[in-house]
Amino acid sequence: MPGPIQPIIDTINQQIPLEGFLIVAAVMFAIGAWGAVIRRNAVVVFMCVEIMINAVNLTLVAFADFLPSAAGLGASYAALIIAIAAAEVAVGLAIVLAIFRSRRTVNIDEVNSMRG
Amino acid sequence: MTIVFGFLAGMMLISALGVVLSRNVVHSALFMSGSFFAVAGFFVMLSAPALAAFQLLIYVGAVTVVILFGIMFTQQPQVRSFSTIVNKQVWAGLAVALGVGGFLSYILATEDWGATEAGQGTRDVAAFGEYLLGVGPGSEIFAMLFQLVAILLFVAVIAAIVISRRKDTDVESASDVREVGE
Repeated sequence: MPGPIQPIIDTINQQIPLEGFLIVAAVMFAIGAWGAVIRRNAVVVFMCVEIMINAVNLTLVAFADFLPSAAGLGASYAALIIAIAAAEVAVGLAIVLAIFRSRRTVNIDEVNSMRG
Repeated sequence: MTIVFGFLAGMMLISALGVVLSRNVVHSALFMSGSFFAVAGFFVMLSAPALAAFQLLIYVGAVTVVILFGIMFTQQPQVRSFSTIVNKQVWAGLAVALGVGGFLSYILATEDWGATEAGQGTRDVAAFGEYLLGVGPGSEIFAMLFQLVAILLFVAVIAAIVISRRKDTDVESASDVREVGE
């Protein structure tokens, strides 16, 4: 379809380069790190850690799709990371529940001593 | 392609910011599931549809529900002001996060990745399963990693049960009852 809208259609249909995915994942990682540093609620800190793990997963899968020598193995690593992150959530929330039961708070600024 | 990428990137980043900045913890959890949903969309774009299905099942389904359970058990009175949900490092943390994000973006964008071309991942679910089990070509390491992750999940489940077990008055009163009975 010739005409003035052809460049716009080409722009819309063009392939996203590898750097686009990597930069989006890096920004998501930075947002998760910011939240893990500043929030007071321990459960929200867990959510931010999950966001950071997802950003790294996205980077792995992007590399596996774009680099020829990766041979698609990055997706398998990402599946293992998902399993490890699920285990981390289970143990982490168990720890948060134990802390809440003994101290009646989930504010991690108040939970700064190892003794119960 | 560009429209889908922009939509998913905006959804993911806005949801991630919502997790960090939302005053309500339940809203944070729902924003988190939205962010995971966008990541699943990215996985479909990056020719890993089986991984996208895993992402939806495990993250959008299971992890969000577990975290909502955690919120339910540790329910706090809802906070009104923004300054009570963040600690004193909010601006220093923002500076550090901007530094980390900018540095990572700069490195990743200026690095020469060689001949990159989209669509080299394994769309085939059978091949993905063979890679994951370590029987595919070049993926022998996964035969060990898969078993390690299995052991880790087993240990983690037992650890979660042991840590969250109610060990104060209930157990003692139960043992007292048993001793009286004997």
